[in-house]
Amino acid sequence: MNVYLLQVVNGVGIGMLYFLLAVGLSIIFGLLRFVNFAHGAFYLLGAYFCFQAVAWGLSFWLALVLVPLAVALLAWAAERILLRRIYDKPHEFHILITVGVALVLQEAVILVWGPLGDNVATPAPFQGVVMWGSFIYPKYRLFVIGFTAVFALFLWWVLEGTRLGSAVRAGSESTEMVAMLGINVFRVFGLVFALGAGTAALAGALAAPIRGVDPFMGLEALGVAFVIVVVGGMGSFGGALAGGLLIGIVQSVMSSLWPEGARLMIYVAMAAVLLLRPHGLLGRG
Amino acid sequence: MNRRQLLQLAAASAAASALPLPLRVARAQAAQAIQFGCPVPMSGAFAANGKFADLGMKLAVEQYGKVLDRPLAYTLLDTEGKPATAVRKMQELVQQKGARYFAGGILSSEALAMGKEAEKNNAVFITTAGADEITGADCNRATFRWSVPTYGAIERTVRPLIEQMPNAKRWYTITPQYVFGDGLLTAAKNIFKEKGIEHVGNSYHSLTEKEFSGYLTNAMAARPDVLLLLNFGSQSSDALRQAVSFGMKQNTTILMAWASGLEQFESLGADLCEGVYFGAQYWHGIDAPGNQDFVRRAREVFKANPNYSLAGSYICTKILIDAIVKAGSDEPAKVIAALEGMKYTGLTGDEEIRPEDHQVLKNYYLLRGKAKSAMKDKDDYADILSFGKSFLPVAQTGCKL
Repeated sequence: MNVYLLQVVNGVGIGMLYFLLAVGLSIIFGLLRFVNFAHGAFYLLGAYFCFQAVAWGLSFWLALVLVPLAVALLAWAAERILLRRIYDKPHEFHILITVGVALVLQEAVILVWGPLGDNVATPAPFQGVVMWGSFIYPKYRLFVIGFTAVFALFLWWVLEGTRLGSAVRAGSESTEMVAMLGINVFRVFGLVFALGAGTAALAGALAAPIRGVDPFMGLEALGVAFVIVVVGGMGSFGGALAGGLLIGIVQSVMSSLWPEGARLMIYVAMAAVLLLRPHGLLGRG
Repeated sequence: MNRRQLLQLAAASAAASALPLPLRVARAQAAQAIQFGCPVPMSGAFAANGKFADLGMKLAVEQYGKVLDRPLAYTLLDTEGKPATAVRKMQELVQQKGARYFAGGILSSEALAMGKEAEKNNAVFITTAGADEITGADCNRATFRWSVPTYGAIERTVRPLIEQMPNAKRWYTITPQYVFGDGLLTAAKNIFKEKGIEHVGNSYHSLTEKEFSGYLTNAMAARPDVLLLLNFGSQSSDALRQAVSFGMKQNTTILMAWASGLEQFESLGADLCEGVYFGAQYWHGIDAPGNQDFVRRAREVFKANPNYSLAGSYICTKILIDAIVKAGSDEPAKVIAALEGMKYTGLTGDEEIRPEDHQVLKNYYLLRGKAKSAMKDKDDYADILSFGKSFLPVAQTGCKL
């Protein structure tokens, strides 16, 4: 098979993980108008909780359910105790506080698990590769694509088909109006923040068998997540999906065309999208 | 105690030694201590290496305690892996404590900058960084290097592997695009040419890359017999982990030319490393009297086997102290003279410092990862297949002292 076709398939695999990483950040910004620099740290926690769960002998699949819930709970508590107090402050405060939270979490990870990286074994049924002619792809990465697609549908249903979802969408248009309709906006905020952090943790747990865990993975993830949110459009679910896939495919295809610039091209793609569509692919003006 | 607890201990001791600094300075000055600096990354992506390096210097300084009737003292400097920060912290220590002896610099970029700074400040600097330039085009009177540079690392891994597998004719390389990676790649290409090996492709990547699947897709499309990884630290771990997940171990031989030793095996685990070839500067299982003594000391203090970062820092510090004793003075010019041509019992057997370029002549090792079931103890991850000394002749290094 043509190497570029292989790279597109691989790019979809990377892109689905990127989508999962970025969608929470996007939703949080869309509703709360809140810039969350701690998002990468929730991804980091997800990966390390998954590592710990597997090290304790828990099944990876159980970890995939429990870890996002645990991180969501932690994020919900952080929102209630800390972040809720600064929503009405300018963005600089948001950045200051969430960068602080991210650093505390990162250092906590180093204290508990040490500065060295670790490995998470690929779950047994998805070890090995699939082969179709010259196409070779790890089974686990295929699983991640499928799982993330199903999860994306679920998330789309939550946002489009449930009362919480309509409150979120309405809230992102006008918080005051939603509050006047008798909906407890702060409760919705807390839930959305927890949901966003939970999806980041899920991305971390899913990525752990591919990339291993190390204390600095959150920073790298945060950079990528911001690029995708900007490319896709702030606050847009479909934008996060389109942005994630676009960036994943660009990165992968460029690994063949111009390997030394593959990383750089992520940012070039972002700049190009911003020049053509200043509000992102699916963003609202 | 396992290694993680050891690292936590290191973090705690670093914190403790950072706190009562003025007190330590006062005490040290009163006793006229000979001051050492340990400039290594203690934060950022290479922090783990820095933390072990700190333990290595501590072990050497405490082993000697006193030389020339003066106590030894050292200060840990966090370079953050950045040349500018490294140079600034070095200057501060020279000015504040009169330190003249520095052993550190994990990354080639910071080591090159610190070497130049050492020369300006009438100090002596010894490093384990890899770029050829350190004892090549950018060499200077004040800079020494313990580790084997990129040329020898390739000569002692790629060449024996080609000889061992004469039918493996197609090689693919993955290379980080900076001075260190290019050094390894150039050396590898020279051997390919000489041996008639087909270099079926190379993927350069940036120093911040973590996703290697795209490069591996390229590599697999080229159908190589051998995948040669020329990156370092966590990037080489990521590349290996992802290569294994793409099933490359089944029909491709994987060689990581510059592994960081025991800590890397621990973070990857035995299953991933089984059957993979690794190049190494140091391995705790080396059968040499100097290493046996060192491993015993390290086990006594840390209750664990020493890894490369710890060993490198220990031996660099020890070399400096031995030279001070040999010179009978802590005057840098005299110590440099003592270092030049010094022969000693090192961690890899008999080692000596080449006077013309200040390069330590020592062994480099080719290891192969063992199956988990074949491991005799928890650190017995690999067998040493071969080793030896390979260095460019001084005339070809570009060094003029």
